Amino acid sequence: MQGFFFMNQFRKERNKFIILMLMPATILLVGLTLFPFIVSLILSFTDYSLLRPGQTKFIFLDNYIELMKTDEFWIALRVTVVFTAFAVFIQVVLGVVFATLLHNENTNVSLLRTLYLLPLAITPIAATFTFRLMFNPSLGVLNYFMKLLGLEPQAWLASPNTALFSLIIVDTWQWTPFILLICLGGLASLPSEPFEAAKVDGASSWQIFTKITVPMLYPFIGLALLFRSIDAFKTFDIIYVLTSGGPGILTRTLNLYAFKHGIEYLSMGYAGSIAIVMLIITIVVAQIFLRKNKLLLPKDTLKR
Amino acid sequence: MKKKYISNLPPIKQLNLTRRHFVKATSALAGAGILSSYGLPLYAASNVDEMMKMYEGANIDWQSQKGSSIVLSGLEHPWMSSIEPLLPHFKKLTGIDVQVQKQSESEYVAEVPVKLGAGNPTPDVYMVWSYGQAANAGWLESLDQHFDNPNLFDKSWYDLDDIFSSARSFPIWNDGESYVMSITAEAQTMFANQNMLDAVGESVPTTFDELLSTGKKLKSGDVAGVAMRSKADGTAGSWPGGGFVFSNGGVIIQDGKCMLDSPEAIEAIHYYGTILKEAGPLGVGNYHWYECLNDYMQEVCGIGMDSSNFATDIENPEKSNAAGHTTYGAMVSGPGKQAKPNMWHWMAGINSKSQQKAAAFLFLTWANSKPTCLMSSALGLATTRTSAWESDGFKSAFGKQAATAALTNLQNADGKIMKDCWFHPQSGEILTPFGIAINEVVTGTKSAEKAMTEATAKINKAIGA
Amino acid sequence: MKVFFRRLALYIFALWSFFPLYWLLNTSFKTSKDALARPPTFIFKPIMKNYMEVIKNNEVWGYFLDSLIVALGTTCFGLLIGVPAAYVLARFKFKGSADFGFWILSTRMTPPIAMLIPFFIMYLKLGILDTHIGLIIAHVGLNLSIIVWLMRGFYEEIPMEIEEASYVDGSSFFQTFYKIAVPLSMPGISAVGIITFLFSWNEFLFALVLGDSVVRTSPVGLYGFVGYQKIYWGQLSASASLLLIPVLFFVFLFQKPLIKGLTLGSYK
Repeated sequence: MQGFFFMNQFRKERNKFIILMLMPATILLVGLTLFPFIVSLILSFTDYSLLRPGQTKFIFLDNYIELMKTDEFWIALRVTVVFTAFAVFIQVVLGVVFATLLHNENTNVSLLRTLYLLPLAITPIAATFTFRLMFNPSLGVLNYFMKLLGLEPQAWLASPNTALFSLIIVDTWQWTPFILLICLGGLASLPSEPFEAAKVDGASSWQIFTKITVPMLYPFIGLALLFRSIDAFKTFDIIYVLTSGGPGILTRTLNLYAFKHGIEYLSMGYAGSIAIVMLIITIVVAQIFLRKNKLLLPKDTLKR
Repeated sequence: MKKKYISNLPPIKQLNLTRRHFVKATSALAGAGILSSYGLPLYAASNVDEMMKMYEGANIDWQSQKGSSIVLSGLEHPWMSSIEPLLPHFKKLTGIDVQVQKQSESEYVAEVPVKLGAGNPTPDVYMVWSYGQAANAGWLESLDQHFDNPNLFDKSWYDLDDIFSSARSFPIWNDGESYVMSITAEAQTMFANQNMLDAVGESVPTTFDELLSTGKKLKSGDVAGVAMRSKADGTAGSWPGGGFVFSNGGVIIQDGKCMLDSPEAIEAIHYYGTILKEAGPLGVGNYHWYECLNDYMQEVCGIGMDSSNFATDIENPEKSNAAGHTTYGAMVSGPGKQAKPNMWHWMAGINSKSQQKAAAFLFLTWANSKPTCLMSSALGLATTRTSAWESDGFKSAFGKQAATAALTNLQNADGKIMKDCWFHPQSGEILTPFGIAINEVVTGTKSAEKAMTEATAKINKAIGA
Repeated sequence: MKVFFRRLALYIFALWSFFPLYWLLNTSFKTSKDALARPPTFIFKPIMKNYMEVIKNNEVWGYFLDSLIVALGTTCFGLLIGVPAAYVLARFKFKGSADFGFWILSTRMTPPIAMLIPFFIMYLKLGILDTHIGLIIAHVGLNLSIIVWLMRGFYEEIPMEIEEASYVDGSSFFQTFYKIAVPLSMPGISAVGIITFLFSWNEFLFALVLGDSVVRTSPVGLYGFVGYQKIYWGQLSASASLLLIPVLFFVFLFQKPLIKGLTLGSYK
């Protein structure tokens, strides 16, 4: 009898603890995101335009149908997916590799780590305009180096062939440190025994990297990849400043497309529908990724 | 927490303006027959009484809104830079405190719709970048009733005839009322590096064909002949390209329908693209103001065609290698056609939700009045008044030849065809596809015919024509 | 040999990371004509004018202070409410924990454009527009997803034996949490702290819409140097360079626990 009472008491304690630990975060997020989300959702079902504020009507799925019928949406979707896929892939590879190399290094580590974090530390607008200057075909330093090396100067951001690639370079420069930082943190919290044991067994660096480091780092790599993908999908600043979605509409991502319709054309209803579509795509892909990699639930929980 | 007086202009630059132009501003007033009997610098406290007299001649109760405070919002722009140093005098005259909020154009255009769309009572006065949008969204107060208010406005003192006719007609909305005031005037003007022209033995081009051939002659090695805006955006190629369309006998919008697929428009943009492809710098497809102006000032490009406002920077030897040997010219014309450069008047209006409308109106009329325009034009501002443009102060600040060229272009411009497009409520949905189409022609992705025809179809669909 | 190649790769990557910043620094010492000259100048006569203007400009100090307050506030507040949530999600099985975790993640997924006007109206009505607290709350909300998920990941990697032992010894949940779990997770907290700080320091869109004249952070302030038809390169590059100093200082402070080996001992 007493044991049963104790279990109940314990259960209550446990639940109280869980609720208390989750409550502040929940309240903040609900308060902050619920209202804007509901408003955006409702607006996407209307023809709300800031040009005709009093004449908003419900048009239900018309925005979405219109969206699916326009070529521009599908082009923007393709651009966004290509950009996200290539950028994130390169950034994850670079991030994991250099985090591991840095982790194994023992001289000047602080200096190197600081240098690696610089792209995240610099005010983005200053960095972006610096890139705009560096990429300038006639006055910029990149073409200066190209000429020094005897290569053909490129139009970089202006050419249909190199524009998206140039943007990916800028994004990679800016965000690889993010992946690197997460992996560094992950590497720092890994136990050292497996590594020592492997060295004793005479494994090569490559074997250690592929068979021990990467698998042990896997949850962190997965998280870094997930977050970077979510953010890269929404990339806006660098594209807006460097190419405005050009040449033509070759670098116009979904977010830029939504911005044009929302802020420039003031069609907030239509822009809302683009945003909701982006949200749905992200949710679906994230769910698939998390389930496949079993990252939705913790592997092991306290037996209490 | 008390609101800060925000100004993004670095303090030293402001100081330079004041010191450098003391004498010029004073002489401008002297030249206009308004004497500064002590010949003292304008901003010296002891001269304030003299200055006040100019305004007191008006039959307006300047002090009627004493003690109130208004918020003036605008983008980083010569108008803001010229008006700001004069604000202490406005305060002295009217007792109204003006708080300035200034942002870069991209920031401004993104943030102000959010504020106004949410019904914010401030800013009270703001620079209007898209009259069509702002008027249709109901963000502007009708000014006619204030113009007719004898306590707030004195028509004869204000001298409406002194203002450019296009500046007077611009603010008239299609319901006959005015919701803004024009505050600046600029026109599409050509600037050509005279040294570079002399080196190839060419003169300033006057037609599309001459621009093409001269440009090709100027282009050699990594120096380009002609650079014009072409970025894939509604703020880039659409304005200069529009001028080309007008100067080839075409129009953009007529009776609510897009006419960019007319033979004249297609030919004009075909020229635009060809000139840039054959005489333009590498990567010109991504050029906006910065790139065009920088290339010209660094003398890696011989000719440019853009806003007359560029003259202020081009003639500044601290920034430009082309200072002192630039020739400003009229807009080039299409074969057998008449040149019709594009132009622009920046406008400022009163927030319809403002709670300080009378004070805001006093500010606007003060800013646009003859004496204020004389002073601000002596600082190089391209105002809307003929008297200011013809003053010695303006001519020496702006550049005599530049002023003459710009004035010619302003007078040749056709305000109506410009308004039909730029003041359309959905101007964004017209200018952006147009700008993107120009970019596609310049990068060689599409022919002018294909690009223009497709853009026209898209635009007509969006504006319901 | 291995070491040589490793070092080579590391230093090349360092060069890549640093070069655009080197260019920015370079530009900050140049006149506006020099900044855009062709060919680009690596060796030139440096001027201090840009730095003098920026240092004398009270507003740039204002941007720095506002950014500092908001970034520090966001980091502290964010860690304070995010780490407990992460711990619970990592250690306890309860109904709906997967969905709850995913919901937290989804708060990051909506493109900001859809939320700008509703956010603005919300803040206007609540009267927290243009306040430091208001922007801190927004930044915490924007970043909570990453704080929670990353910390959860770090907690999952920490073996539970020590905590189990602590419970056996009779400690309460709270005691175990802040006496054992938190110290053990310092590398994670450090990494997440740096990420949050940097994110908030450099965030632009919400700082723009929710701030105004009282709260003007450095990304918004520096955008003011991007003028009409020209860029004030001198002030832009000088301010951006100067702003790096406090950022690097704080990052350096937060970095200590990332040093490898510090926490491995406590597992044993």
